[in-house]
Amino acid sequence: MSIIEIFFWLLSGLAIFSAIMVLISKNPVHSVLWLIVVFFAISGHYILLNAQFLAIVNLIVYAGAIMVLFLFVIMLMNLNADADPQKNVWLKVIGIVTGGLLLTVLVSAVRSSNDLVNRSAELKTGSIGLIKSLGITLFNEYTVPFELSSILFLSAMVGAVVIGKKE
Amino acid sequence: MNELLTLMKSELVLTVLIFLLLFVKIGRGVRNEALLPIIQVLLLLNFIVGFFFNGEGSLFGGMFHTSSLIAFEKNILSLAVYLISLLFAGWLKKSQHMPEFFLLMITALLGMFLMISSGNLLMFYLSLELSTIPVAAMANFDLDKKRSSEGAMKMILSSAFSSGILLFGISLVYGATGTLAFAEIPAQLNGSPLQVLAFVFLFSAFAFKLSVVPFHLWAADVYEGSPIAVTAFLSVVSKASMAFILITVLYQVFKPLQSIWYNMLVLLAMATMVVGNLFALRQQNIKRLFAFSSIAQVGFVLVGISSNSTLGVASVVYFMLIYVFSAMAALGVAAVVSHHAGQENIDGYKGLYKNNKFLSWAMALALFSLAGIPPTAGFFGKLFLLAAGGERGAYWFITVAALNMIVSLYYYLRVVRAIFMDANEKPIDIIPLGNTERLGLVICGAGIILVGLAGGIFNFIQTLH
Repeated sequence: MSIIEIFFWLLSGLAIFSAIMVLISKNPVHSVLWLIVVFFAISGHYILLNAQFLAIVNLIVYAGAIMVLFLFVIMLMNLNADADPQKNVWLKVIGIVTGGLLLTVLVSAVRSSNDLVNRSAELKTGSIGLIKSLGITLFNEYTVPFELSSILFLSAMVGAVVIGKKE
Repeated sequence: MNELLTLMKSELVLTVLIFLLLFVKIGRGVRNEALLPIIQVLLLLNFIVGFFFNGEGSLFGGMFHTSSLIAFEKNILSLAVYLISLLFAGWLKKSQHMPEFFLLMITALLGMFLMISSGNLLMFYLSLELSTIPVAAMANFDLDKKRSSEGAMKMILSSAFSSGILLFGISLVYGATGTLAFAEIPAQLNGSPLQVLAFVFLFSAFAFKLSVVPFHLWAADVYEGSPIAVTAFLSVVSKASMAFILITVLYQVFKPLQSIWYNMLVLLAMATMVVGNLFALRQQNIKRLFAFSSIAQVGFVLVGISSNSTLGVASVVYFMLIYVFSAMAALGVAAVVSHHAGQENIDGYKGLYKNNKFLSWAMALALFSLAGIPPTAGFFGKLFLLAAGGERGAYWFITVAALNMIVSLYYYLRVVRAIFMDANEKPIDIIPLGNTERLGLVICGAGIILVGLAGGIFNFIQTLH
């Protein structure tokens, strides 16, 4: 077992464990902190795939900016451990059954797909996640979607200002 | 450069409009009464420009493509937006943020144009967001009403959830085929379970936006809470654009999986028609009634889409053209009555005919068209949809659809009965009708009658491709 494989299993285990902890933590602040661990583990996966730029962006944007926003909102809303809105047992049972069915379908679909048999991810090689190739693709093939997103942000900003500005 | 100007003409026009409105807002305040006619003229120009200099072809390596059919679909959407600016003038003039309203609406329209023209899943996703997020802000435009904020919140949450499902589906498609381009996906599809799963996720996102039945729960609350102008935009323009791109995605991109999506469409269409109609029967609020009736209408559109033929495409586009006229007229009258008399319940419409003859006739004509009663265009729209659906030979399916048309007669005609026949001691007083509203209702009425009688229009749509 090479060092990369050891890292892969370690990071995968960490990601799944902390994702479960996000769900079962009673305290919302703990959930957010576990979510940060998930993002760190996923960034580790990006580094294993030789995508340093994606790893760093993932950390800065998700673990940095978005998580801070999350924490702010949760602290402003002043949720505590007692505030558990789901009291209905049947709702929980139905949720578990449907979620389990979706998981079964997902796993069986991936397992029975011929496209994925004997394929493995490119570890340590490949240049697709490097900043140079990413920039070239973004400004050649994907110029239009890139410009489109600027209009999207403009409209979201106008909408937010209108809603927020109550005289 | 020349090609860029002609092919992307409608998008560029809209972008110019967006920036004009931004500068109007930044500059010294212009009164709504002075600004609204200018915006109406600009939107009319935008609609007229849509008929000229239409090219065909694709740009940016297949990221954007257009054809005569797509240009026609864009004209339908432009027409609907122009009608909104006419019919809801009363509410718009009183609105504190009218320039922003148009700015957001035109941005959403730009998103829809790009969505219909998109040739790549990434482009499709971004333009879908561009056509949704501004509308969620628009739903909150009745700033002092709690229900309006509630509707906007429900819309942004449910659309974020459906975007999540869509992105998951897109990433599975990319994993299973190795490409995002519409032109390259069909060759890679072989019906493996992973691809079917990816398609199901992708389709669920469409079903969310079209409010097809298991995914319809957000629609009624959002439609009821938001201002009627936004309800009209959501239930007509937004749905029409989603139906158009759904046709492209099903007929071109996922053509190899057609035996799978045919079964899905049959099941969803039946559930949508039945559930939409049954819930519409019980509604007392006119906006909720239109919400559920628009869900039922989407069921009929799915019947047309299931045919997988050029007749299917033509019948859906034709139906949407008619639906723009009929739904806009009905919602326009509802907006005028709600604005001046404060009535949104069907009981409040009792005896409307006594003092408001023009409004009553406009509403009756629109409801007849929505129900599909022969001389109006709505009948021909439904006829072609069902005929297209019948091409595959599933006649029991068409029978269910036809029976649903009969059920829908009940709740549409209940409103007509309240307006014309029910006695009311204190009927609504004479409502002063502005010129623009009158013009909008006349255009809608003319459309409802003429589009049905002029058979050439359907033939013309069939020649587009």
